[in-house]
Amino acid sequence: MTPVNISLLVFMIGLYGVMSKNNLIKKIMGLTIINGSIVLFFISIGYRKAGLAPILEEWTTDGISTAIFVDPLPQALMLTTIVIGISVTALALALIVRIYAKYKTLDIQQLSKER
Amino acid sequence: MRSSKIIRTIVQKLFPFIVLFGLYLISHGHLSPGGGFQGGVVVGTAIILLALSYGIEKTEKKFKNRRLSMLEKLGILSFILLGFLGIFTGHSFLGNFLPLGRPGQIASGGLMLLFNIAIGIEVAAGVSIIFYALVKYRGEL
Amino acid sequence: MIIHIPVLIIISPLLAAFLVLLTKKYKIILAITSLLISIVFISTLSSRILSGDKVLYHLGGWQGPLGVSLVIDGLSFFFSLIVLGLGLLVIIYSMHERCYGRTYYFLLLISLSSMTGVIYTADIFNMYVFYELLSLAIYLLIAYPKTGVTLRASFNYLIIGGVGLSFFLLGIGFLYAMTGTLEISHIAEKLPIAFNSSTRMVLMSFVLIVSGMGIKIAVFPLHGWLPDAHSMAPSPVSALLSGVTVKIGIYCLIRMIYGLFSTKTFSIIISSSHTILMVLGVVTLLFGAAMALAQTDLKRLLAYSTINQIGIIFIGLGIGTEMGLTGALFHVLNHAIIKGTLFFCAGIMIAKAGTRDVQGFSGFGRQQPSIAFAFIIASLGMIGIPPTNGFVSKWLICLAAVEAGYTVLAVIILIASAITAAYYFRVIQMFFSNPPKQSSTLICKEKQMIHGGNFFKAWTIYLLVAGCLFLGIVPVLGISIVKPAVSILLPHVIP
Repeated sequence: MTPVNISLLVFMIGLYGVMSKNNLIKKIMGLTIINGSIVLFFISIGYRKAGLAPILEEWTTDGISTAIFVDPLPQALMLTTIVIGISVTALALALIVRIYAKYKTLDIQQLSKER
Repeated sequence: MRSSKIIRTIVQKLFPFIVLFGLYLISHGHLSPGGGFQGGVVVGTAIILLALSYGIEKTEKKFKNRRLSMLEKLGILSFILLGFLGIFTGHSFLGNFLPLGRPGQIASGGLMLLFNIAIGIEVAAGVSIIFYALVKYRGEL
Repeated sequence: MIIHIPVLIIISPLLAAFLVLLTKKYKIILAITSLLISIVFISTLSSRILSGDKVLYHLGGWQGPLGVSLVIDGLSFFFSLIVLGLGLLVIIYSMHERCYGRTYYFLLLISLSSMTGVIYTADIFNMYVFYELLSLAIYLLIAYPKTGVTLRASFNYLIIGGVGLSFFLLGIGFLYAMTGTLEISHIAEKLPIAFNSSTRMVLMSFVLIVSGMGIKIAVFPLHGWLPDAHSMAPSPVSALLSGVTVKIGIYCLIRMIYGLFSTKTFSIIISSSHTILMVLGVVTLLFGAAMALAQTDLKRLLAYSTINQIGIIFIGLGIGTEMGLTGALFHVLNHAIIKGTLFFCAGIMIAKAGTRDVQGFSGFGRQQPSIAFAFIIASLGMIGIPPTNGFVSKWLICLAAVEAGYTVLAVIILIASAITAAYYFRVIQMFFSNPPKQSSTLICKEKQMIHGGNFFKAWTIYLLVAGCLFLGIVPVLGISIVKPAVSILLPHVIP
């Protein structure tokens, strides 16, 4: 059960949540779970065996120490992805607040019956 | 939405430390994990904590919506302006024109510190405005 | 300043978006000025690009695979012309409405800027970030009149679009795991080596990227969000959505299939992807035509007609020869012009009639004959009747299908054009019939964005119709812009 397999499993769980749950808030939770699984996927790709965290602590005269670091690029990409995920969630919650104020229900089957 | 006396006292004592921690994350973004977005969210969370414990009306008297909105727009415009300063001094857009200091100090890495501060202000204001908007919506407008 | 043009084209609407939030009096002047600046900048580059050259720009001074660069070649230039042109016309169309506040122009400018960003960037993760920014602005624009139907349509689009872009991101993750770089040209160089060692990961990333983009383009099984979103939005936003936003997905798909997965090592992917595109195109075409025939709401009919035309573009892309690609890309331009005209006319028609039902437009041909005439010309273009531009692009695709041996595709396109004629003539017939004695029923109960006709609206419609007829009578002008784009995709074609 490598981390890549686990992240794909969590992706499926999130996709199941988006597809089959009727409550709007549970659909948003599914979308957030999908985002989390993608973050896990990217970080586990960047792992190198016996690698340290990519923070330089001491500065020798030649500049770079000769240790193995994990790949820092996926970590930087995932910071951006988390920001995007937060923005989408905030927008979805704002829409849900207004939908609830208008229709007084959060069930998507009842909402699709409205004209 | 007033909480009990214990929570209000603890939040009142903790608030400056949370803001200080957020500012530490913002300013050390180029040296250790952290940066503009992370520190900005922590500062915004401090304001949300105040709103949760003291009630939204009292918090809004201290941290007005209009002032936060103006801070947010100022943050983004200063970010784009710093990018244009890169063009005016001969490098490309968002290019670095400040001297790179010694690595490991705060005043190093050129423009990164200024970017982090601009983004930090913007995100802190933005998160607080989102919270105000979600809490204060009351029915059909 | 000349070398900084690529980034200035993207930043100028973005800067104007944030400045628009500060002022109330000068918002329209700022918006139009920023778009005119972008259009002027891009026309200074046009002579270099149309002769086959490429313009590169490195953001922040970081070269190569270390940094994000912007590249303008024939394909990006073609799509960004469509984006900026139609964006300017949408802003002019929505100029004199009092109900559009600062937020509306802010969201419009951000969506136009991020569309240009998606088109110009050479870094695949940057493409995802700009695409998410575009999607956020569009979700808010659809929900701008805060009525119940628009909120539900926007939420529907949010969920489905969010899942689609997550598929795209997972595909990017697989590509990064195999090649270790994020720039599209570098991935294209390193991918054949990875294909020999781990074939399944390349296939997995291909499937994920195509499904993710398919959700945003709204091909047949993944189209569920499009009728609600495009019909419930305000009319200028519908024109922007149908005309341009769907085309951004097509641009990304073309870049991935012809840019990344296109070397001869990938023979199994290329032959099967062409078949997939053709099958999807046929199914989408017939589905869109059949559903549009059954609609009574005008804007829903136009939304299903968009699905119809996307099917034709997919058939052209799937054939893959030079004539097929020329026809498909030219149809992208024509569809943007024609759908823009149709949605702009629909805005005026709905405001005059007070209802969205097709039955309510009876007698409209006598009330506003010029707008009705524009609608008729545009729908002739959509069906594919000779002096219009729609005829040229559909003819090119049918000819390419016959030449490549798929005659049945040409027959299917002709059948679908006949069905298109049926549902457009149903609306046109209403223009010339007498209005009923009592006032029409089915007035929309909720507050909607009412557009009265005025000078600016009429002239944007006339401009678009003039472009439609002009490109139909002198098609060589349009094809000369499309040729450099095709030469990027098929390297043996000289612009």
